[in-house]
Order: sequence, then C-alpha cells, then structure tokens
Amino acid sequence: MIELDVLNDHSAKSRDEESGPHFWRSPVQMDAPTGSNSGDEFRDGMSSPPDGASRRQFLQLMGAAMAMGGLTACRRPVEKILPYARKPEEVIPGVPNEYASAMPFRGIVRPLLVKSSDGRPTKVDGNPDHPYSQGATSPYEIASVLNLYDPDRSRRVLEDGSNASWSDFMSFCRSLGDRADTQSVAVMAPPTSSPTMQAMRERMESRFPNLQWVTYAAEGDDAVAQGMQLAFGQPLRPEYDFGAADVILSLDADFLDGTAPNFLHNSQSFAEHRRVEDPSDDMSRLYAVESAYSITGGMADNRLRMQARRIPHFATALAAELGVNVAPTGSLTANEQRYVQEIARDLQEAGPQSVVVAGETQSPEIHALAMAINEQLGSLGETVSFFDTEDEAPTLQSEALDALVADMNNRDIDTLIMLGVNPMYNAPASLGFAEAAERVGTVVHAGLHVDETARAADWHVPQAHYLEAWSDGRSYDGTLSIIQPLIDPLYEDAHSLLEIVNALATGTDAAGYDLVRDVWRGRVESDFERTWRRALHDGYLADSQYASVVPADVSLPESVDTYSEDGYEVVFRLDPTLLDGRFSNNAWMQELPDPTTKIVWDNVALMSPATAEDLDVEVTYDAGVFRADRIAIEANGASVTIPIWIQPGFPDGSIGVTLGYGRSLSTRRSKRRTPFWNTDEYTDIYGDGPLAGGVNEDGTPYTPVGTNVSPIRSNNGRVASGATVTKVDSGYKIVSTQEHGSMEGRPIARWSTLEEHRNDPERIREMGEPVPGYREDSYEEYPELWADNHPSEQPEMKDNWYYDNQWGMVVDLNTCTGCNACVIACTSENNVQVVGKEEVGNGRHMYWMRMDRYYVSEDANDESPEMVMQPVTCQHCENAPCEAVCPVAATVHSPDGTNQMVYNRCIGTRYCSNNCPYKVRRFNYYNWVGTLPTQVQMAQNPRVTVRSRGVMEKCTFCIHRVRSTQRQARNEDRPMQTDEVQTACQQACPTNAITFGDLNDPESELVQKRDNSRRYEMLDYLNVKPRLSYLGRVRNPNPRLADADAPAETA
Amino acid sequence: MDKRTEHSEGPAEGSENFHERPRLVKGGLSFSDVTELVSYHAERKTPTAWYAAFAVASTGAMMLIAMLAYQVYNGVGVWGNNQPIAWGWPIVNFVFWVGIGHAGTLISAILFLFRQQWRTSINRAAEAMTIFAVMCALIFPTFHVGRVWAIYWTLPIPNQMEMWPQFKSPLLWDVFAVSSYFLVSLVFWYVGMVPDLATFRDRAKGFFRKRILGFLSLGWTGANRHWRNYEKAYLLLAGLATPLVLSVHSVVSFDFAVSILPGWHTTIFPPYFVAGAIFSGFAMVVTLLVIARKIYSLENLITLDHLEKMNIIILVTGTIVGFAYITEFFIAWYSQLEYEQYAFLNRAFGPYAWAYWIMMTCNLISPQLFWFKKLRRSIPVMFGLSILVNIGMWFERFVITITSLHRDFLPSSWGYYTPTMIDVLTFVGTFGLFFTLFLLFLRFIPIVAMAEVKTAMPESDPHYYDAEGDGHAPAAQDDTPYIKPSQGYRNYRGGKQNGDDTPDDGTTNGGT
Repeated sequence: MIELDVLNDHSAKSRDEESGPHFWRSPVQMDAPTGSNSGDEFRDGMSSPPDGASRRQFLQLMGAAMAMGGLTACRRPVEKILPYARKPEEVIPGVPNEYASAMPFRGIVRPLLVKSSDGRPTKVDGNPDHPYSQGATSPYEIASVLNLYDPDRSRRVLEDGSNASWSDFMSFCRSLGDRADTQSVAVMAPPTSSPTMQAMRERMESRFPNLQWVTYAAEGDDAVAQGMQLAFGQPLRPEYDFGAADVILSLDADFLDGTAPNFLHNSQSFAEHRRVEDPSDDMSRLYAVESAYSITGGMADNRLRMQARRIPHFATALAAELGVNVAPTGSLTANEQRYVQEIARDLQEAGPQSVVVAGETQSPEIHALAMAINEQLGSLGETVSFFDTEDEAPTLQSEALDALVADMNNRDIDTLIMLGVNPMYNAPASLGFAEAAERVGTVVHAGLHVDETARAADWHVPQAHYLEAWSDGRSYDGTLSIIQPLIDPLYEDAHSLLEIVNALATGTDAAGYDLVRDVWRGRVESDFERTWRRALHDGYLADSQYASVVPADVSLPESVDTYSEDGYEVVFRLDPTLLDGRFSNNAWMQELPDPTTKIVWDNVALMSPATAEDLDVEVTYDAGVFRADRIAIEANGASVTIPIWIQPGFPDGSIGVTLGYGRSLSTRRSKRRTPFWNTDEYTDIYGDGPLAGGVNEDGTPYTPVGTNVSPIRSNNGRVASGATVTKVDSGYKIVSTQEHGSMEGRPIARWSTLEEHRNDPERIREMGEPVPGYREDSYEEYPELWADNHPSEQPEMKDNWYYDNQWGMVVDLNTCTGCNACVIACTSENNVQVVGKEEVGNGRHMYWMRMDRYYVSEDANDESPEMVMQPVTCQHCENAPCEAVCPVAATVHSPDGTNQMVYNRCIGTRYCSNNCPYKVRRFNYYNWVGTLPTQVQMAQNPRVTVRSRGVMEKCTFCIHRVRSTQRQARNEDRPMQTDEVQTACQQACPTNAITFGDLNDPESELVQKRDNSRRYEMLDYLNVKPRLSYLGRVRNPNPRLADADAPAETA
Repeated sequence: MDKRTEHSEGPAEGSENFHERPRLVKGGLSFSDVTELVSYHAERKTPTAWYAAFAVASTGAMMLIAMLAYQVYNGVGVWGNNQPIAWGWPIVNFVFWVGIGHAGTLISAILFLFRQQWRTSINRAAEAMTIFAVMCALIFPTFHVGRVWAIYWTLPIPNQMEMWPQFKSPLLWDVFAVSSYFLVSLVFWYVGMVPDLATFRDRAKGFFRKRILGFLSLGWTGANRHWRNYEKAYLLLAGLATPLVLSVHSVVSFDFAVSILPGWHTTIFPPYFVAGAIFSGFAMVVTLLVIARKIYSLENLITLDHLEKMNIIILVTGTIVGFAYITEFFIAWYSQLEYEQYAFLNRAFGPYAWAYWIMMTCNLISPQLFWFKKLRRSIPVMFGLSILVNIGMWFERFVITITSLHRDFLPSSWGYYTPTMIDVLTFVGTFGLFFTLFLLFLRFIPIVAMAEVKTAMPESDPHYYDAEGDGHAPAAQDDTPYIKPSQGYRNYRGGKQNGDDTPDDGTTNGGT
C-alpha cells in the first residue's frame, strides 16, 4: 500500500504529543519511552521505515493514473434506459400504471386498459369506462400481449431475404415515386376501422393513380356486411340486444365466441336475460341451429345440428312459416320441420322480443333473410338496432382478389404491397396466389414475423405490434379510440402499418404519432390538444359512435344460392384460440384448450360419430393417449391431410376445420442445444424454434403445429361442398386436457330446467346428497377431524387485521358461456407457464383455471348431447384437505379465509394434490421457466412469483391484488370499499359469471349472489366447505320439443 | 451312536420329554458344526460366483444412483407422475419395500417374545433383508419430492425459519415411523449379532479383520455377565421393536387412509396393510432363503420345517389380505356412496383392471395352494409362489395408489398413468442396491445367528446329558474328538475326509 503521511501522522503523533495522563499496564511499559516504538525497529544507519512516496511508488501511482485515465475514454454501451433524474409524478417504481389503448381486431378495435409494469406492458384488460367494453375481454386481447414478446418476431428489414435497414427501405420508397404515375401498385391490407389508415390510403391513391386496394381477411368475405347491403342497400352494422329478447334463434351464429367481432356486447346482453336471481325471474330461450358444436350451441336451450349448407333450407322454411315471402330452398326432415314449426311459434309469440341471428358461415342472402324475419317479427329497432358506418358499399373480397390475381398473372402489377396479411399461407390454393406473385415486379411485405409471405417478398419490413405504435380505430359501435403504444418498438426496424404506408405513399419517414395526430386534428373542431388528451386518457373519444338507424324496409334477396349436397361439406372457421393464425406463435393460445374439444396444440377435422363410421375412421383412447386416424380432404382442387376428432353433436356429413395451424416461420433465434443428460427441451417450449412451426435455412419446414386447411378453402365462402374424404393413416397423437366428457351421473355441474327450478327452488342445492334419500343425519353436521384447532379458530388468525375480510367467489353457470377469457386472464396475471403438447399429453398442464366441459344426455349413445361448461379453480375450502396433509406446512390458511401456497416452503411431496378432490393443484414437474427467452420473461407479472421446479402451485384468488388493495386502503386510512378487489378471471369475464368478494360485507355482490337458491358447492358432501360456490344452470327448453331430441337423421 | 446323530423328527406320542421336541437343526450338527458351517462362508476365499453376482447387483446399484442423479438434475418430470396421478411408481415402490422390510423384525422381535425358537435359523438373514429393504424404501420418499435438497424440512430440527413440520400430516408420521423402525431394527440386528461377531473375531486371521471385528464385537468375551446383559438388552429391544412392527405399516397406510380420496379413505387400511406387509415380507424371506440355503449348504440349519412355517404364515396373511379386498368391496357397496362405489368398480373393471386381477390372482388365489402340506413343503412351489406373492403385493400398492388417483371425484380431471423408462430403471436399481447389500451381508456377516441357533438346540439344555448319567457330553468323557464335521459339511468341502482341518475351538464363545 502507499503510505500516506496523513495516515502515518496519526499513529506517530498520537501518544507523544497528546496531553493528559499516561496509561500503563506494567512498569516496563511505563519506563519505555513512549511514542518511539516504531522508530526502535529501524536503528540508526538502517533503512528508514517506509514513509512518504518513494520514487518507485511515484511511478506506480502515475502508471495507474495513466491507465485509469485511459479507461475513462472507453464508453459504456449506450442504453436507452435512463434513471429518473427527476421522477415523473405519476410513476412509482413497482406500482403498475394503466393506459388506455385498443386492439385492432377483425376490422374494428377492442378498447383496452393496458397495465404497464415499470415500462413493460404486462396485462391487458378491457376498458371499463368505454361504453362498449365494460372492462371485459375475449381471450385474444389478453393473449395479444404475448405476441408483443414473441421471441420469433421479425427484427430486421429484409431485402431479398438478406439484412437491410429501414433507411434502405426508405430509399426504396423514394424510388417508387420516380415513376409513380405509370406504376400499377396493389395493396393488400387487413380490414381496418382506422381513420388514419384511411387517410394514408388516400395518400397512396394520390401518389399512385393506378392503385388497387384489396381488403384481405384470411377467413374470406364479410358475409354480414354483404348481407346488410343486400337487405338495406347500405352496409349497416347490426347490433343485437339479447338482453331484451325472450326468444333467440341462432342460424349457425356463434355469437358468444371470442371470434365474433361484437363478442363483448353479445355476451353481456345475452347474460342479462339469463341471470335467474329468483325462481320467478324470466329468462330468454336460445335456439341454436348449427353446423358445429359451438359454445353458443352449448348455451342453447334447444339445439338442432344441421349441415351448414342445409341451414338455408331451415332459414327459408322458417321464413315461409312466419309469412316472409320466400321460397323454400330444399327439403327438411320431419324432425327439422318440427323445429321450424316450434321455433316459428315461439318467435311469433315473443314477437318483437325475439331475434334471429345468422352466422358467418351463412351466405349474405341468409343474413338478409334473417333481417327479413326480424322485420316480420317486428324486432327491428327493438332487439336489433343498426349503426350506420357510412361506408361505401362493400366490395366482395373474393371478387377483388380474383381481379388482383388475374392482374398479377398478366404482369400488370408492378408493386404488390402486403400489409400485415399472409396470403401465401392462407389464400386458397385455387386462387394460385403464390404463382401469381412471382410475376409481380416488386413484392413488399410488412408483418410481425418472417412468415410464409415474407419469405416470398422482395422487401420485408417488421411490423410494430399494436402496443408499440400509434394508431387509431373504431370499436364495433363506432366509438373512436386512439391506439396508444406502451413501449418503444422492441426491434429498431419495426414500424407500424401507418408509418409504412405513409413511407410508401410519400417517400418520407414520418412518425406514427404525428400521422395520427394530423388526422385527428382534422376531425376535431376545437381545442384539439384538450380533446386529444382526453381521448388518450379515457381510451375513447366521447360521443363518436356511429349514428343509430332503424331501416325502414328490408329488401328480400331475390334468390338464395344453395350448395350442391354431394359429398361432404367442409366448414372453415376461425380458430377459437389461434384466430386466423395471428396467435399461432402465442404459447398461451396454443395451450388454451379449444372450448369444446379441449384439444391443445392441434387442429382437427371435427365430425359426428356417424360420419366417422361412414368414413371408417376412428379415434382410439388407450393408456391416456388419444390416437386419431388422419384423413385427406380434397376440395376445390387441393388436398390436405388432417387428423380427425369425433365430436358428438356435430351434424352428420359435415366436417369442421379451423384456420391458423400448420405455420412455418423463420426466426433468428437458434434452436437450443442441450447436453444429452439434460432434458431442457422439456423445460420450456421455446427450445425447438417457433412454436407454430419453423422453417430451416433451406426452406424445409419443421415441427409445424397442426395442419393448414386454407388450401382447400374456396375463395368466396366458408363452406366447401362436395369434398371427398379418404383415410390416410392412423395413430396420430392428439392431446386433450379433458379425457372424460361425461359427469358419470354425479352432481358436479348441476342444472335443472326453469320449470323444475320454479317448482322446487332447492332442487339444485339438494342434488349433492351423497346417499340418496337418507337425510336424517346431515353430512353438514358430521364431526370434523381438526375441529378443535381449526386454523380459523386460532387467535393469530382472529387477531390479524386480514380477518375482517373473508373472501369468497360465486360462479354462475347460467351465464358462463365457456369462452375461456378467464383462463387466459389468469394465465397472464399469474405467470402460469405453458408446457407444450408433449407435457400436456403427460397430464402436466399448468393452467390454474380450467374450463370443464361435460356432455349431458339421457342416453349414453346420444349423438347430440347437451353441453355444460364449468370453470374450476381452487375452491379455497375452509376445511382444506390439502392443508392437513402437507408435512412442511407449505399450504396454509390465511386469516382472510383463502388457502395459500407458500412456494418457498414447498418441498413438492404432491400429497396436497392427491388429497384435493377438485384436482386444481398444479405441480412444476420441470423448471418450466429456467430457459425462457428474455422477451417472454418480460411478459410476466412482477407482482406474482415465478415458480421454480419442484413446487406446487394453484389459484390464489389473486391474493396479490387483494393485498395491494388492502395496502392502498391502509395507506389511505380507510376501510376497503365494497367489491374493491377484482380477480383477474372476474375482470375478464364478459358475462359477469364470476363474482369475487368479501363474505363479511353484506353489501357485496357476492353475498347477494350467495342468497340465490341455485347456489351449491361442488362435492359439498365432503364437508370441505369450499369458499367458491356455483349457481346451478337453469335451462329453458321448449317443452314441446322435449322429445324431439331424438337422434337426428342424417342428411 | 449317541443322540447327536439320530434325531427323532418329532416327539413320540404322549411324550413329555423336553429333549423330544422336534429338532430345529437337522443333520446331526453339533455346536461346532454350526459354527463351522456359518463361519466358513465369511472366512474362505471369495468365490468367483460371488464376484459375478456382486458385479451384477452393484451394476444395478450404480444404475440406481445414476437414475436418481438424473432425476435430481432434471426434475420429477422424468418420471411418469402427472396430474391427477401425483404419486406414481416411487410411492408404490416405497410401500412395496417397506412391506418387504416387515418380516425381519417381526421374526426377530415378535416371534422372540412368543418364544418361537424356529425363528433363530432365519432371523439374521430376515433382519438383514428388513434393513436393506427399508433402505431401498427410504430412497423413494426422499427422492420423489420436488426439491430433494429441502427434504430435511420434514424433520423437526430447530431452525432459523422458526418452522416446525406440520404434525397433522401423515407423511410426517411416516418420516418418524419409518426412520425409527429403521433405527431400532438396525440396533436390534447389531445387538443380536455381537456374540457371533465375537466368534468371528476369535477365528479371524488377518490384521484388519481382527481389528475390525474386534471393534464391532464390543469386547465380547462370552462372560456370564455379558450374556446376562445381552439377553436383557435383546429382550428390551424386542419389546421396543414389536410395536414398531405394527406401527410402521399402519402409519404408512395412514398416508392413504387419512386422505379423502375414494379408495384410500378406508379404516380397514392399517390392519390390512400390516397383514399385507407380513405377507410380502415372508414371501421375500422365502425367496431369498430358498436360494441362500441351497448355495450356502444351510439345509440343515434352515430346514424345510422352517420354510413350511413361513409358508403357513404366508397362507394366513394372504387370506387376511384377500378378505380385506373383499371387505373393501362390501363396504363400498354398503356405504351407498357413488364415488366410493365407482372407485372400486373402476379398480376391478376400469382401465387398470389387469393390475387388479394380477393382484387378486397372486395375493388371494395363489397362496391357497399352501393348504396342501405337500405343496408347502415343495421348494419349487414355494419359490414360485413367493415370487408371485411379491409381484402381487407390488401390484396391490399399484392398484391402491394409482387406480384410486387416476379417476377420482371430477371426471374432467381423470387421467392415466404410464411409467417412464426412468421409473422402471430406478425400481430395478433398488433391487441392485438390495442385492448388493445382501451379497455383502452373505459375505461378511454371520448369516445365521449361530449363538441363537445353539440355544434352540436340545444340547443347550443344561440337563440334556443327564440321561446319559453324569450330565456331561459323551465326547468329553471318552476323550474322543468332540467335534466331528457333519456329512453335509464335508460334502460341501469337496468330499474331504474327517478331522484334519477341523478347527479346535469352535465352541469357545459361540454358545453354551
């Protein structure tokens, strides 16, 4: 060390020069001359003690100083994260902020409130203030946050497949202008409601006189808009008020599914008239005539399965029965005829309080016809209202596409611009899009992934996720929202579609923010800044809805086109989890069980048992594994091979398939290599490249999930008739989260008919008697094992201030449609991990909340059973069987009556899971989180622990939300307000089927719902006293159709 | 010839003579013969066959270690466990091995207290089997937890977290029951071995062998005082071990019985598990001793009479177990509880019906053959049957654990369990460990309790020679060699003729 005088001084002087008494311990010490000890060591003539800086030390010091001086020249890498020199007022580290935004979805936007945790968007909720959302969501909105953090997203601008930069692309855009007048440019863009995009489109049109703008949606034509055009001469947008309807008829309309654009309003209004709070309450009756087993069909009181191509027969017959002047298009079976008559009678009785809805699989004529029936019933303006979108007459997408492809084939298109669409993947094969694209001069593609289309394009520009870029749009009712980004684009090259279109249209690089503001400035008359800020804060521009109109008169379609009824029909639907493929690289959605089949990580060809028998195909179940035969479906000149699945309740002769599978994505992320003793490939699902399916450098696809069914689509409809089907092979492994569909007669998801419920309101509650007819000694009075020292009786519990709130939950099975929003909300909120097909097949899925689906029928071989959904999560038993058996007290009761897992304490004996009668506990068999890509980690909620391997986990009743609300209340020195806390599942639920609250608060909604006579506790005879109770489902079937549910005839 | 070479197989009708009780040791073995016969195997040069067997067994043990390391490295997911079958093969194997570990202490403690002298020939090996089986068993609950490095949290160790284990949990009771059973069995085994170790020590040749055996035999000299203390200690330990024999499997059964799962939640479990454990434990003893007595020429010490007695116990306990199976069905029907009824119907006719019927056949039907004296005295029959019983008892645990879990209350969460290769190899590996330890036992430890066997021989009666006149053994009188190797022993040594290699102090400490 360098000896410094300053330091030495102290020791040298301390004793000599101090005044005051001497302290000594021995005479020797007293005698010794104090202060000179150090000097003694070095006698005269010897080297002096090290003192001061020697020449050597001087050189050392200077050398070090120079080296350090040099180091300062090195700069740390530039990071954009800056410490708050002055903290923004509204940001408290660790406390999430919420910003209003909106998600573009099928041509509209869905208003959102996005939670930002320290700068990262982590959770998406509905915007409760928005007139059209009321805080709920479908699964898509919530899952979209994981699309943002998709590690396989495109990161760089690509020119002919090799790296380029945004400025390269800009110079390309500028070069386009050189011959803009002569260029013929085509744009394919997704349907949008964005005024700014409309303005950008106009800019494009003004630059390129020969512009073709094709709105392209993977699922095909917008039958609703076409139908409304047909019926009213303008593309009015219908809105159904199911809450006011007594009788609802769905003609293949799955209006309760998240794919429906107006899903939220449909679900909310439908639930309004299904909440039977008192046995005397009325409820609506839902008829579903459908070609699939949808969740709407599951909610139906009377359901008729029918091929999609035959539903027009039903519609026309019904219309005729009701007095609409239309000729029947085909014959019906006796049973169907009976339904026509009964439904007609019921509709007529209900009059204006009834509504008929046609679904997306049906042709525009049927939509128009449905409106004609509504008019006949007088329900236009009553249960059906219309928004005037002020759009021009919609062009048929199929026609526009045909024209475009023809032009491409004629080499008439110089530049083809594809904005966030993927026609190489999802255009029907008969269109010949891929071949035509080769004849186009320059193909530009913008998208989130380097996908099928991006690889075929000359330019690929990474698209910014909607949470990364400014935009705007209109919700279903037309209310304007600003899409507000919550984070800078994760990848520098990523730009929003607005910015890309603007660049192409003007050759200048403008920020999306300015583009949106410019357009809005034009719309807002006065005080722009204030209005803008208000709209940004609220998430919508007040009073910007479309005008509501009641059309005077419905023009009947001149004729109703029908399909040939040869061969099998194939019906194409948007996938309830992957939509059209936009969510296919989303782990949450891949693992989200299909609402009906409960299949994960696959798409299948759904068919009825009779159809399967016809085709001589089967699905076998052996030793926990489903093995399905695969079939080749040939239609529209193409063929795809897909595994089958037998779905009871499916119409015979119909095959249902969903879009969105069989992808091949390029990624810059390499596959993970692991040493042979390591099973890391099990520990997370991202190890094998893109989840949806990848593609190697040489263009060979690998590990695709499911099958792409788009090739066999026809260009203009959702139904392909006359398909031929042949069996290919057997043994394809299908993974489903629910292997058994029958309740085995157990009173689990209980229901009764409205009539039974009125006659005996206690009926549902009393179904739980373990021993029928033996009531003297009620099981509720059985002695309890640990009654004397029950956790809730301990003073530590009672003295705790949490004791004042006792949490509970009620789930109303009558309004739960099984839409899965709660499942995804829970997954996002609680960092629930995704384990992949293989591990789900091994029975190790982690979703805390599951949606149990049971088929109910009188006859075990009924091919058209009823369906009931039941969300199941931890029941938070007061006598929790899991708690008593844990040897290390890792699962314990909280003072507020919830059952909690202490992950740190858990050693993983899994006894709790065995002893849980509801089997809601989930075990971390591997370290699912150990190797998650950084991006995916960013999606996780910092307020919930990420669980490691070897510990048990389960629903917590969102205790972190409870605690932070309690903390807030305590900081503000106030009691908690009634229903101040919402669990994530409750928040997402569009029908308010889930109610969470404080049992000690008589004002709470929970306490009121618990008074309902439909309330029961699942497996109550076990006396575990669950805090979660269910309200039994009440069905309202038409008694005159009671015996009509006989096995339906084949078409 | 004197009585030592001609033994009646049983007392004559109406005889009350003490000497006339059936001789437990056959072949006219003298005390010295017993010592020789037992010591020989530990003292001779290790046979090649032993090395071969040891190589196989220890490979299995190494595999076990490898499998466990793999599992700890990767997680419980390498096994077939899932949701809802959170307990799979590891717990099945645990209960299986604990069950096997039941016979030894039962033989040595309970039969000791009941003065069943036939136990003496088999108790050492049976106890060794118990200890090794419990060691194999302990591996499973330890490693089946998700975080094995925190397993010590199940022990009531004062700690900075100020956390005790949760005493309501049957798993915790299990920890106490099995570990105390293991410790008491180990001490009991060791204490019983001290006189025999001293015999070994006295005969030891090598430097290390002398020192090690000297240490282990605790300075035993065979003094009267030693014997007195020894007998008292042995009696006390037997008294201590007896309730443990019953408690350990009762407590293991609580793991199931205390839960609320249909098929597990049954009050019949404790007695039924204990009976099952004795059943499987005796079967395992029979399996092992049928082989060992043959290879080690112990037919005269472990006689057919011994084996027959064990077979009778197998018959009795097997019938008890079978009765329990049927009772479970009756109770399920009688309870009128649909969940309970379904659980049992599902066992017999569900996806795991094959396992159920293997269990029924092996455990209930096959032991009934032992009603026939001829069959229960037939070595091949008893060997085959004991293997069947072991298979059946493994399947019993499989049926209880897995079929109850795979279909419980909510059909939506029903599942199926398939073991992985790791499960299989781990289980096979425990057999490797078991046989490794058992081979070491056969090689280094007196495989028959020499001292105790001698006490069970008529010659140990102080008045045995009274009939001859002066109460002394004839050999001592005549000055002829007292010790004569038995014929069987001589044959064993390759037909070598009498006398020349006879050790001279075989009876020094062994037992008088």
